[in-house]
Amino acid sequence: MKTLLQLDIRHRGAMSGVLTLGSLDPAFTAAAEVEGEPVVLDLRSVEFVEPAGLCGLAALLEFLIPRNGEVGLALSGRNVPAYLERMDFFRVFGDRVRTNVDVAALEERRRGNPGTLQELVNFHSEEEIPGIINRISEILEKKEYRLRERAAICATLSEICANAVEHGHSPFGAYAAVQAYQHIVSGGRSSRGEEVIVAIADGGVGVRGTLSRNPKYAEHTASDNDALRHALKMGVSGTGEIGRGGGLAVVGQISTRAGGSLSLRSGAGRISYYGDRTNSRNVPPFPGTFVRVSLPRIAVSRQRSDASEKARS
Amino acid sequence: MAEDREHAIYDVASGEAGGKLMVTRGTGRRVREALGGVLESLPASGVLYVDTRGVELMDYSFADEALGILVSRVAAGEYGDRRVVLVEEDRELLENVEASLRQRDLAMIRAEKPGAKPEIVGEVPEHLLETLQEIQDAGSITNADLAARLGLNHTAMNNRATRLFKLGLIHRHKNTAAPGGRQYSYEGIS
Repeated sequence: MKTLLQLDIRHRGAMSGVLTLGSLDPAFTAAAEVEGEPVVLDLRSVEFVEPAGLCGLAALLEFLIPRNGEVGLALSGRNVPAYLERMDFFRVFGDRVRTNVDVAALEERRRGNPGTLQELVNFHSEEEIPGIINRISEILEKKEYRLRERAAICATLSEICANAVEHGHSPFGAYAAVQAYQHIVSGGRSSRGEEVIVAIADGGVGVRGTLSRNPKYAEHTASDNDALRHALKMGVSGTGEIGRGGGLAVVGQISTRAGGSLSLRSGAGRISYYGDRTNSRNVPPFPGTFVRVSLPRIAVSRQRSDASEKARS
Repeated sequence: MAEDREHAIYDVASGEAGGKLMVTRGTGRRVREALGGVLESLPASGVLYVDTRGVELMDYSFADEALGILVSRVAAGEYGDRRVVLVEEDRELLENVEASLRQRDLAMIRAEKPGAKPEIVGEVPEHLLETLQEIQDAGSITNADLAARLGLNHTAMNNRATRLFKLGLIHRHKNTAAPGGRQYSYEGIS
């Protein structure tokens, strides 16, 4: 008897059919009750997967496989299986999950994905990060991203990846994925924008667990959200050494400057940081840390260059 | 000054663990160890120019590990009176070096090329900035002359310059031939 784990996929609005990290919450919760039994994750109502959903799905599978042994994925349609294939999902999980789609046929039909900047990648140590950064930088250079745009994306990815493997003590290391989207710009500054989404998930002790190692943060670690808010501040780190704890603060500055956002989820906390404001709410527990950074690109810069050209003429 | 003082130039992009993209603490540590080796090989009051102009990106972790920690060790006196200068233009890449040094309440001298006009990256206490500026403008100046220019007594002047010397931002030497006994003279780094 297999238990079908349902996801929370919206059926209306802008997020209709999108697999987000939040979509996976019911499955994380239900998984705790069916330990030791085979399960099937029901992704049939998913129409669209972004890096956040992809990394979240990878973390969920890493959570389920050791507990439940046999894990299946129920997919439907052609787009989602084809996207998962293009993002190397089946390369990472093909041998470890059962699925109702013909992966070999997807591999044959495989085509390039113009917006993919980093397929789903699993890494375990800091030594692997420079290779990941060199590769994405080459891709960005070929796509004619300017130096400052490349630097913003690369520094975001390197700092968050380093945090994931340094503090995490995660049994499966961490997963990262990066994708650029046309015409989807959060905040609605422009309809012709581009947005680069960076997502990273680990299965480690979480932000509160890391900061709790430092007794001087006792009053900032009463809840997961308190810990997440504090972790965004310059110089806050688990070790308390001078000079540490700058990476996440710098990533917050980079996303703010790009007009984007930084979202963190760890334990039962979830915060989104926009520079001038921070939203937080309590969510079902996530066993690890998840980071999503949105870096809008052309929308802002093109408007500025248009304005400066007008000023010159 | 670069011509007459013993110095070495270290090109970060082509040196140990080098490249255009400098990320992670691990990479920073390897670069710092290489820099420390070169610094130790210099004679007393020698200058190490750390040239990052070939680098496109330094993330915060790298900047703190390679430069933040190196500068803190120079300021702690681990390398005697040898000095470190960052050779870099005024560009975004400096932000993470600046952030790291500010976290550490430290600063380093930056010049666009060895011997060019010195600038500051990081945090220098407000009351020392004027002194530093005066020493840099003078090139080389005695404690008495500096005190006269800034309207301070000799002891106060000596205290301020000693702070700058300990932060690794100036050279200092004893001028035994001075009338009235020994006194220090100071020299800017560039």
